[in-house]
Amino acid sequence: MSQFDSDASPEALRVAVLSWLDTHWDSENRRPLTEPTYDRRHWRQQVLEAGLAVPSWPPEWFGLGMTAAQCKVIEKAFAERNASGTSLDRYHLGAITVFRAGSDALKREMLPELLTGPICCLLYSEPNAGSDLAGIRTRAEREGDKYVINGQKVWTSNAREADYGMLLARTDWDAPKHRGITFFLFPMRQAGVEIRPINQITGESEFNEIFIENALVPERFMIGNLNEGWGSFQTAIAYERLIMGQGITGRRRNSEARGRPPLLELAEKNDRLNDPVVRQRLAQALAYREVNSLNNERAMTQMMTPGSMSLMSLSKLAMSRIQHGEAAIATDILGPKALLDGPDNSDAANTNFDAAKAYMNSIGGGTDQIQRNIIAEKVLGLPKEHEPDKGIAFREVKSGTGPGTTG
Amino acid sequence: MSTIQESEREEIREALVRFLRAEAGEERLREGMQRDHGYDEALWRQLADMGLLGITVSEAYGGIGGSTIDAAMVAEELGRSLLPVPFIETCVMVPSLLESGDITEETQDILSAIVRGTATIAIGGNTALAPYRDPNSTLKLNSDGSVSGEVSLVMHGAHTDFLLLTFGSDAQTRCVLVSSDSGYDVDKQTANDPALRPATIKLNNTPCTALTGLRKDDLERARLRGVAALSALQAGAARAIFEITIDYLKTRYQFGRPIGSFQALKHIAADLFLEVESATSAAHAAANALASADSLAARSVALAGFICNDAFRDVSAQAIQLHGGIAYTREHVAHLYWRRARATLSMLGDSNTHREAYLNTWEAAA
Repeated sequence: MSQFDSDASPEALRVAVLSWLDTHWDSENRRPLTEPTYDRRHWRQQVLEAGLAVPSWPPEWFGLGMTAAQCKVIEKAFAERNASGTSLDRYHLGAITVFRAGSDALKREMLPELLTGPICCLLYSEPNAGSDLAGIRTRAEREGDKYVINGQKVWTSNAREADYGMLLARTDWDAPKHRGITFFLFPMRQAGVEIRPINQITGESEFNEIFIENALVPERFMIGNLNEGWGSFQTAIAYERLIMGQGITGRRRNSEARGRPPLLELAEKNDRLNDPVVRQRLAQALAYREVNSLNNERAMTQMMTPGSMSLMSLSKLAMSRIQHGEAAIATDILGPKALLDGPDNSDAANTNFDAAKAYMNSIGGGTDQIQRNIIAEKVLGLPKEHEPDKGIAFREVKSGTGPGTTG
Repeated sequence: MSTIQESEREEIREALVRFLRAEAGEERLREGMQRDHGYDEALWRQLADMGLLGITVSEAYGGIGGSTIDAAMVAEELGRSLLPVPFIETCVMVPSLLESGDITEETQDILSAIVRGTATIAIGGNTALAPYRDPNSTLKLNSDGSVSGEVSLVMHGAHTDFLLLTFGSDAQTRCVLVSSDSGYDVDKQTANDPALRPATIKLNNTPCTALTGLRKDDLERARLRGVAALSALQAGAARAIFEITIDYLKTRYQFGRPIGSFQALKHIAADLFLEVESATSAAHAAANALASADSLAARSVALAGFICNDAFRDVSAQAIQLHGGIAYTREHVAHLYWRRARATLSMLGDSNTHREAYLNTWEAAA
């Protein structure tokens, strides 16, 4: 039996978690009490054994069977003590996907490892499979108890740090496009995997291109069934969208509800707070952000309900309006100074950075236009548009700027 | 705090939804528009029988002592139905004022009459408390305690049991109650929304009762509660016309397919859905903040004020566009939502005013 009772009141749970932390974690020096230095794997192991890494999961799968509200209590208690390692059931995309879509054998073998150490990256998009993600052409071919992978992936963050990649690959070229895809937990550190950074319009290089040539993945690392990867993938991408909708992507100068928002400070610093037009736009911008967190709170309480995944697209769509909108207002507040950039002009540099970075949300993880289709079809139940590639063997489908190359 | 539990609230909501479906459908709504009040007064009494008119009135006066959350729940459903009853004035704002001021025999009687459905109260004047503020109001208190002057844009003013007149400055706001049998003239005004009944009221040394013991905070709280209830009403109405529109997109065929399959329309629908969800979230947050006496309640209410205003305006306007020609006819219901949206845009403050108030709360933040 766990020391954390899923029937406990929020206050009792908070006290229990804090007291557990106080016997295991040195909040001042941010390290486990028993160890001289912070070792991520050791600490996560302790959190995992206590059930606190993935509290919403059932006790037989490393969790405590807690509700969304209880998980929030646990997360807050960790934050109070400056401790990390909880809420992996909300943030660890790899572990979440394996938990929700993987076989029991895979879960038993890999979850304890995934939840304590390795970083997972996402191997989804390809040069010719962007918005039309199901059009991937990376191939997985069986050879004994392994699959041989060949192809190219793009827009992968954390690729260099990652031990595993959540890989979408085509396993049946004669099935229609959604039905010939398989999802794998792909070991990144092996010959045949080449990582090249992408230079982005923000000046950053957080994304990479991945060239995969005759790399191997054990058959038992298949997530879900052969040729049924598209369904498992839906789970993974919904979580990614939810996380993006919370504005975690990008360098966000998060405003506390009770403090003064940075945009307001910028307007004041530039003597624009007397301008009624600026005031109206500022209010609207702050409102979009506040309303999005209110919407998220409502979506989170529904998250544990099946079928509510698509609500997460709404939040990501809202975040585009927030980020592009705030950058536009900041640009107008700065006026001619927005022309400048570089370390000597930090307000302008930040604003210009934000203006470029806003595309990260409105394109990455599915463009705003794709999100609108998803919301309209999956949430509102509007019919799909005519799909020329529906029901056609994938090898016959046109792709990119010309006809498809057969597999 | 509310005396009503979550589960009870859902039961009340379900009963109200059933009632409105059965008794206040589009046909009844249109019949009501032909009547003096703009609605069938029998429905008001039935709402009283269900206990809903006393939803915010204390149990001491026969009400059920609910909070703004409960009032917002009722307003949301009334908004869906478009029933043009004076709920926000009579059942939210006036009880808040009466119960926070000095309690007299008369105010107790009025509170009980509100609960029973035998007293409606219209509010008019030139202060922020007036649902439709008339800046040209000439209302003044005479030395003998009677009231004189003229005020327009008094919603439900021609058919009401009491008038609550509010005038003066923000620094010194007066509130007086005038019974409909005290003698004053009424000129009905024509509204763009065929269900609404604004009026000009002309008083000449008309007897009245001044509300006493009201502090500035009390007036502000009544206004905030009114805005929160109005926001919920708008959120409910916006969702209703949105659902009607989505149904139409699924069933209307052109070019051999449902028009809802076209991305041009899907994308508008998705954007409107964001407005509808945001309106619901903002309205609920405002009601919750007031019910828990959150120190940031004024911010939440200001937020709901413009988010819900704008959502109802945009969703109902796009509803006509998405329906196409059919919604350009008076027979179709879309224009009734659109007119109501336009009618509520300036009720208890327009969006620009709410945005300014919202920004003020951020500026005041440390």
